[in-house]
Amino acid sequence: MDNIRNARPLEEGLWTVADGGLSLLGHRCASCGEVFFPRRKCSHCAHCFRRTLEEIYLGPKGKIASFSVVMIAPAGDFYRGPVPYAYGCVDLPEGIRIKGLLARDYLDILAVAMEVRLSTEVLYVSDEEIPVEAFVFKPLKENRKDEQ
Amino acid sequence: MKPLSRMRDVFVTGIGLTTWGYYEKVFQYDIGSEAIMAALKDAAMEWREIQAVFCGSVYQGTASGHQVIKEVGFTGIPIVNVENACSSSGSAFRLAYQSIAAEIYDKVLVLGVEVMPRGPIPSTAFRPWELASGFNVQPANYANLTVRYMKSSGATLEDLALVTVKNRKNGALNPKARFQKPITLEEVMQSRIIATPLRLLHCCPLADGAAALILCGRRNVKYRRRAMQVAASTLTSACYGEGYLDLVDSLKYPPDEGFVSLSARQAYEEAGCGPSDIDIVQAYDTVSPSELWDLEELGFCAHGEAPPLLRKGHFDLRGRLPVNTDGGLMSRGHPLGATSGGQLCEIITQLWGEAGARQVEGAKIGLAHSMGAGPNSSVTILKK
Repeated sequence: MDNIRNARPLEEGLWTVADGGLSLLGHRCASCGEVFFPRRKCSHCAHCFRRTLEEIYLGPKGKIASFSVVMIAPAGDFYRGPVPYAYGCVDLPEGIRIKGLLARDYLDILAVAMEVRLSTEVLYVSDEEIPVEAFVFKPLKENRKDEQ
Repeated sequence: MKPLSRMRDVFVTGIGLTTWGYYEKVFQYDIGSEAIMAALKDAAMEWREIQAVFCGSVYQGTASGHQVIKEVGFTGIPIVNVENACSSSGSAFRLAYQSIAAEIYDKVLVLGVEVMPRGPIPSTAFRPWELASGFNVQPANYANLTVRYMKSSGATLEDLALVTVKNRKNGALNPKARFQKPITLEEVMQSRIIATPLRLLHCCPLADGAAALILCGRRNVKYRRRAMQVAASTLTSACYGEGYLDLVDSLKYPPDEGFVSLSARQAYEEAGCGPSDIDIVQAYDTVSPSELWDLEELGFCAHGEAPPLLRKGHFDLRGRLPVNTDGGLMSRGHPLGATSGGQLCEIITQLWGEAGARQVEGAKIGLAHSMGAGPNSSVTILKK
């Protein structure tokens, strides 16, 4: 996790640092067990439609299900991070697949089924000079030859 | 839901299609009115006979159909603008079909029109955090599906490229396509990477374009030989748990049937036919692999069978089941709101036997499929 002071998240409520570790904030339905990320705004479960959603921490471990390294800048001015960049689908042990950015320093070693860990990264620095962080998935140390 | 096929028969009696491409200083009312005038002439109808307009578009702003009709001439009729991403004009077509089948109107115009913003498709069908994370690159979203399709089907990168080669070969015979020049396998495989593993020529080009179709009830058909019957027109959105574009698949509750298969199954039921009865197909080749999984999901072959069939020439213009006879999105280009309409114009042209060098002999029944952000899946079956 980048230790940047005064950084702000891309959006509030996506992740938290709890019990010393980084977790994504999701919902689990107590009735059918379906898991959601991000937390739902609508008060019922999108699968069984019962109003039995409970907050749940997701991660930090995950496994890449699919990914793509993107060589073009997205349309519109929504994304202000670097290009190339990568995103993909990551399976979490809580039984949910989510879409997430993949850490920018490891684009060359990404692979399907690779084990990854939740982290945060400064995506860009805002016009007010505030670093803006996103959650990302980073290959586990044993997959990173370049790390100490 | 009452099957439309048990209501009044509906026919397409005229079409108008502009030449698709990138143009300088063109507006939707220029190409939209051009397509409408061509369709009226084709149907031997006067503008004042049209009782309602359903217009599909995505990026044309407020009341886009009205902007076009202002050019043609207002007559007080209802104009309904339909924004349903890449299925916009397919959705507009379905509304027109329903309104005639239900005997509300006798003569209705369907328009698909789009002047595309330049650059990659500026899709905003995402949550703000997803947009800020850069998840709105549609080739990358399709790339994620492609990675999984290649793994489960055994398709190779070369198979994906062969879809582009086939469609560009067909497009070379289509004077209204944006790209009318064939390309080689090497050119596809050496084009620059957009989002791994997809390269530029695995992705469809965009275009400005318009397509108009005139629909009538049976008693308003002037020339029966040129009236092609609407056998089915269906529209679905995502089934729970499906992964597509902005949606991520549920690990706990994957759907038994996806929204594409569902839209196809409903269409076959409505038309009273099956995949083996279809002579020609307009499949959704927004990226080249999507044509392959589309053909499988539409029921033309089992999962994993499309790549070997493609290699054997099964989907060629002279193959057993010609697919994207006009060159598809790969050649025609993709003006989002007009794409379904363009597909339907090609089916009609083929059924009329007026497709010239790309004519499929004896084509009697054709299926068109378009899908996209939302998600939406729209299947139309037209027959002689």
